[in-house]
Amino acid sequence: MSREKLRQLGIDLPVLPTTSVGSFPKPDYLMKARSEFAKGKITHEELEQSEKRATEFWIRKQEELDVDVLVDGEMYRGDMVAYFSEHIKGFEQGGLVRSYGNRYYHKPIIASEVHWEHPITVSWWKYAQSLTKRPVKGMLTGPYTVMDWSFNEAYPDRKAACFALAGEIRKEVQALVEAGAKIIQIDEPATSVRPEELPVAIEAMRRVTEGFQAYFITHICYGAFEFIYPQMLQFTVDNFDLEMSNSGLDMLELFKKDKYTKDISFGAVDVHTHVIEEEPVVEQRVRDALAVIPKENVWVDPDCGLKTRSVDEAIEKMKVTVQAAKALRG
Amino acid sequence: MELKLASHSSYPRIGDSPEGQLLRRTIAQREKGEKTDADLRAAQDRMTELAIAEQEAAGIDVVTDGLIRWYDPASHLAGKLTGIHINGLLRFFDTNFYFRQPIVEGKIERTGPMVIDEFVFARGKASRTVKAVLTGPYTLARLSLAKDGGTQLDSLVEQYAKAVAGEVGALADAGATLIQVDEPAILKHPEEFALLESGVRALATQKKSAKLMMAFYFGDVAPLYARLQALPVDALCLDFTYSPGLAGVVAKEGSSKSLALGLIDGRNTRLENADETARQIEQLLPAIKADNAYLTSSCGLEYLPRDRAQLKLKHLKTVKDTFLGLGKGA
Repeated sequence: MSREKLRQLGIDLPVLPTTSVGSFPKPDYLMKARSEFAKGKITHEELEQSEKRATEFWIRKQEELDVDVLVDGEMYRGDMVAYFSEHIKGFEQGGLVRSYGNRYYHKPIIASEVHWEHPITVSWWKYAQSLTKRPVKGMLTGPYTVMDWSFNEAYPDRKAACFALAGEIRKEVQALVEAGAKIIQIDEPATSVRPEELPVAIEAMRRVTEGFQAYFITHICYGAFEFIYPQMLQFTVDNFDLEMSNSGLDMLELFKKDKYTKDISFGAVDVHTHVIEEEPVVEQRVRDALAVIPKENVWVDPDCGLKTRSVDEAIEKMKVTVQAAKALRG
Repeated sequence: MELKLASHSSYPRIGDSPEGQLLRRTIAQREKGEKTDADLRAAQDRMTELAIAEQEAAGIDVVTDGLIRWYDPASHLAGKLTGIHINGLLRFFDTNFYFRQPIVEGKIERTGPMVIDEFVFARGKASRTVKAVLTGPYTLARLSLAKDGGTQLDSLVEQYAKAVAGEVGALADAGATLIQVDEPAILKHPEEFALLESGVRALATQKKSAKLMMAFYFGDVAPLYARLQALPVDALCLDFTYSPGLAGVVAKEGSSKSLALGLIDGRNTRLENADETARQIEQLLPAIKADNAYLTSSCGLEYLPRDRAQLKLKHLKTVKDTFLGLGKGA
């Protein structure tokens, strides 16, 4: 039972613990600072001051909202893959590639063998944890997703690139564990894109997590889950953080067919709409989950990172998430 | 047997230079009301012109307009038909590119040209053969959603087939000598081959003197290869990157049609070993019982940054030169 594992790690959470997926929107002053830094108008230290200020804002806000397991909000990241590619040796920043419409992103290139040279997220985790007594999750992007969202010039195939990344990301996990992180989330949103490669993603996760005393979560979204469930339960994690509300909770049907055997961070608010759900709507979604998964195993959070919402919307979405969970704790 | 170099379909519409940013900038300004529709068309014209110039400079024999004006392969065509409205974003196969989903809410009809103007413009700017590109009826149907689920897939294919066939005929009338129709979706659902076939038959009746080429990518072509050979078309454009066995199948079974050999990976920046690829061509060409064959990329090049797409185009020429040198060296 994962709750027992949490207790062993010294973490005592209420029934239906609340958390968030990882990212929060960057306040205006941070957006301005990032833009000025990109233009060379401010120093890295000045940018970092804004990042720290924004991180503190979100830690305080999560405490105020009574969230149980906090995140640092990723104020220091642009993109969940690019950030790691900028800090792992072997990557080059690629040119712009279109994502949709008029949106473009820099897709990293694995240009040579990848090497983890120094901790990437640890100082941010330590900073965030120093601001609160509540547990703060360590937040990483998983090897399969980093591989899938990068070009590969260095390894013979996708599997080899993925496993090489797994070996390096494991070092970051070790650094987080040594720093004191007890809950570590390793996001793998690309997992369901090529169902035939699911065994590669599962093996990569095993290589990243095996042997560490920590409670592991992985976040998967936008998926054709019908092709990877129940096989995805083989991931060596304690908790799947899943986007449920955006897809009308249809994954619950899969769970009825094949028993769900892990903890779940149940996405109870849709992050892709400006509309703030009414509390009864969110409560009902969680009730629907509880009809299929034991209460002991359910955490409650939004579907996905909230960075695409406004600061006010993100706060309201978190607020209704916590209210719904508390109402159902009984 | 002549081996020609062909562009597959799409080409990056953005680059690092100020001119490379023209279209992105203009669209952003158009959205703010600072530019007009005429400004947008002029920017699209300019980027198309540049894309064609880069293809020709790389020594490509058969060029495309780079699909510079396409929002995506589904909505650009479906949005010009009646009975359809364009909805939110969905992932385009296993890429990190997103398309706007067509929602079918009435009878699908072609009431005007879909890409004729684009073809005519490109032909005016090119000194080489311009290949017209369309998305096929089966793939359009598969990427669409029938409102309320009321319309069956076979009916959608039939309606799209009639519309796309109309465009094939109009392109032939406008002077297109080579028309490529993309049907990647069938590789994900090979059990629906009869639907693909019915759509292709409808297109073939309208092609007149133009050559019709069907393109298949993002999946393993080998299991369907024999059935593709039976389609009433002039040429097949095949993605070899997903299919380790395809070269062997083609070499063994031969081809009564012209083949476009997608041996150059359009999804990864790594340049293929020219010697190895030339050897593959040497193995494949004798199997093709047609006047010509094409060397091309596995898919459109828009999945690459512009500088890397340019390198891939140039690499087509390098590989062809290496192939031509093989005989001389023997």
